[in-house]
Amino acid sequence: MKLPRIVAALVCSVLMTASGALFAQGSKPPVKIGMSMPQTGTLGGGGQAALVALRMWVDDVNGKGGLLGRKVEFIVYDDQSNPALTPGIYTKLLDVDKVDLLIAPYATVPTAPIMPLVKQRGLLLMGNFSFQVNHTVKHDMWFNNAPWNDASSWSDGFFKAGKQVGAKTIAILAADQEFAQNLANGARELAGKAGLKTVYNQNYPPATVDFSAIIRAIRAAKPDMVFVCSYPNDSVAIVRAVNEIGVGSSVKLFGGGMVGLQFTPNMVSLGSMLNGIVNYNSYVPGMKYPGIDEFFERYRKRAGEAKVDPLGLYLPPFNYAIGQMIEQAVNGTRSLDHKTLAAYLRKNEMKTIVGSIRYGPDGEWVNPRVVQAQFRGIADKNMDQFRQPGKQVVLYPEQYKTGEVIAPFEKARK
Amino acid sequence: MTARGYRFWIGAAIVLSAACVAAAVVKNEYYFYAAYVVIQFVVLATAWNILGGYAGYVNFGSSAFFGVGAYIAVMLIKWLNLPLGLQIIAAAAVGGTLGFGVGLLTLRLRGIFFSIATVAITIILETAVINWRFVGGATGIQILRPPVMEPFESYTKMLFVCMVLLAIIAVAIARHIETSWIGRGLRAIRDNEEAAECTGVPTLKLKLAACAISGALMSAAGAPLAMYQSFVEPASAFNLTYSVSALAMPIIGGTSHWLGPVLGALLLGSVQQIVTVTVSSELNVLVVGVLLVVFVVAAPQGLVGLFTKVKDKVKGN
Repeated sequence: MKLPRIVAALVCSVLMTASGALFAQGSKPPVKIGMSMPQTGTLGGGGQAALVALRMWVDDVNGKGGLLGRKVEFIVYDDQSNPALTPGIYTKLLDVDKVDLLIAPYATVPTAPIMPLVKQRGLLLMGNFSFQVNHTVKHDMWFNNAPWNDASSWSDGFFKAGKQVGAKTIAILAADQEFAQNLANGARELAGKAGLKTVYNQNYPPATVDFSAIIRAIRAAKPDMVFVCSYPNDSVAIVRAVNEIGVGSSVKLFGGGMVGLQFTPNMVSLGSMLNGIVNYNSYVPGMKYPGIDEFFERYRKRAGEAKVDPLGLYLPPFNYAIGQMIEQAVNGTRSLDHKTLAAYLRKNEMKTIVGSIRYGPDGEWVNPRVVQAQFRGIADKNMDQFRQPGKQVVLYPEQYKTGEVIAPFEKARK
Repeated sequence: MTARGYRFWIGAAIVLSAACVAAAVVKNEYYFYAAYVVIQFVVLATAWNILGGYAGYVNFGSSAFFGVGAYIAVMLIKWLNLPLGLQIIAAAAVGGTLGFGVGLLTLRLRGIFFSIATVAITIILETAVINWRFVGGATGIQILRPPVMEPFESYTKMLFVCMVLLAIIAVAIARHIETSWIGRGLRAIRDNEEAAECTGVPTLKLKLAACAISGALMSAAGAPLAMYQSFVEPASAFNLTYSVSALAMPIIGGTSHWLGPVLGALLLGSVQQIVTVTVSSELNVLVVGVLLVVFVVAAPQGLVGLFTKVKDKVKGN
């Protein structure tokens, strides 16, 4: 009778130890990561797609046991693309929800109001496709996921392509809005340095819907290249106006900084009208990074369920990369202390599905990697074509180059 | 001073003291962030009610005055680095002058035509600011808060107390207008402007005064926005939701009494704040719309009218 008693005691002690360990793990509070994301309003489309990618990372990291042995809890609020709401939301995240780490909302405008808040409280903030938002505040714990740093990093490739086709004159058209103005100022500087003569230089009000008069004015100025800095709705309207009216035979290069031509619904709706346009991008099919193909495969399933951008080439991989950087920094330091994490992020190269990232003192990429690509051979009403390499031929940067620019613009459109 | 007057000022002193005590005791900053927005709407709704409620001139341009207040503050911070108090006074002065000017241009219009003219003012002023590079233009401008003044421990708490003080001033002005000959004149204009004119009510002068006071208070409410948000850009400073809320809150609370806009703003503002961080901020606008429809149908006199009805019934029984 003694043996069974010993066995029973052993079994009991093993069970107790196991349940104790389980209880200890279960009782650990989660690591809370908080953010606001524009899920409605003008930035809502991009924000929703980005959110799918971030949730994928949360699931992935929790599948691996979480951070520091604690589950990750993701808290998100919708800021309606309205900067007036973000200070209140981030204060709630910090003071009521007691989050451990913060991620910035997508885009510059909703992020700008929280920069002084995080600076004053000495908090780490993972940036989310903002442009020059840390320029004034100079917060040393800011790390942007976007593949650019200053204005020239955006437009350099476009101007190099212009030089290659022998452009001597330039027309600059920019929306009278935050990002577009910063970009246009950088372009004006670059045009001056390149010795290009500016023959047209206009801003348009953000609510403009009819661009026919503007396109006619550009055509009359007979520029060699047209640099456009526009927002999604404007970009679509400009492409349609160019398609109807034409910018003239003098134009060798058209595009540059048109936001919205990276979003799948816009690309599908514009179809062949995109041919010939040279525009910036963050990622185009064919660029190889470890894990990116597998990410897109999984993202597209989730995007279908969530009814958001079905291809998700522009924002989602970079949002997943935010999670990867947090994971790498927390695991690397075994800490959630913001200063420690910021020091790690600054010193180390981050390995992500959008490649390796090294940060400069301003929290932007040391080696910017904005792609300038030319749309070619695009057919109407075909989404699948945008999955393939070759529909957006990379002209810049050199390490991703897949072809030479075709000019003039009218020839490239055919 | 009447007994009611004493009661009002004692109540105001209690509210201000409670705000100061809360700022000293409550550590969680979020509550002050949220409460600031609600109290800001008390000022806006009260200011709107002076012209819209008492005189019956529906102003859709509240966001224009609010935005002007914010941008006057931005200009003064950038140009002279003036303290918050002077920013508010300057914004009120500019808002009052603007209200007077707008009144001169538009008060000869009535009904829907006046309302459309006030919407146009928002668009004109927003376009002007978009093209004014000194205050950031279309790009917007980031503002770094200066060190907080003693005895406050944070700038947000200071802004909250400041907004409570502004709300008390706004309500006191509205109450004074309501109970004085000015209020009686404005009500006469609302009921029948021709009859009021014929009986010797100086209609244009009263309307201009209401427009200027309303504009001054709205701009004063907008002035601390720059410090509250630490960032100002035209699309959010001149956002039409300020106009919609400033109009909806007095209608929900009741336009005939100074308490109406206060109750409406506290109710709607609080619901909006709660909905933003619980259900979905997209529902904000829906909440305003639904409450507006419900109150217009079920309680056309607003919460104040509903309370009076209930009180009368209880007394009657």
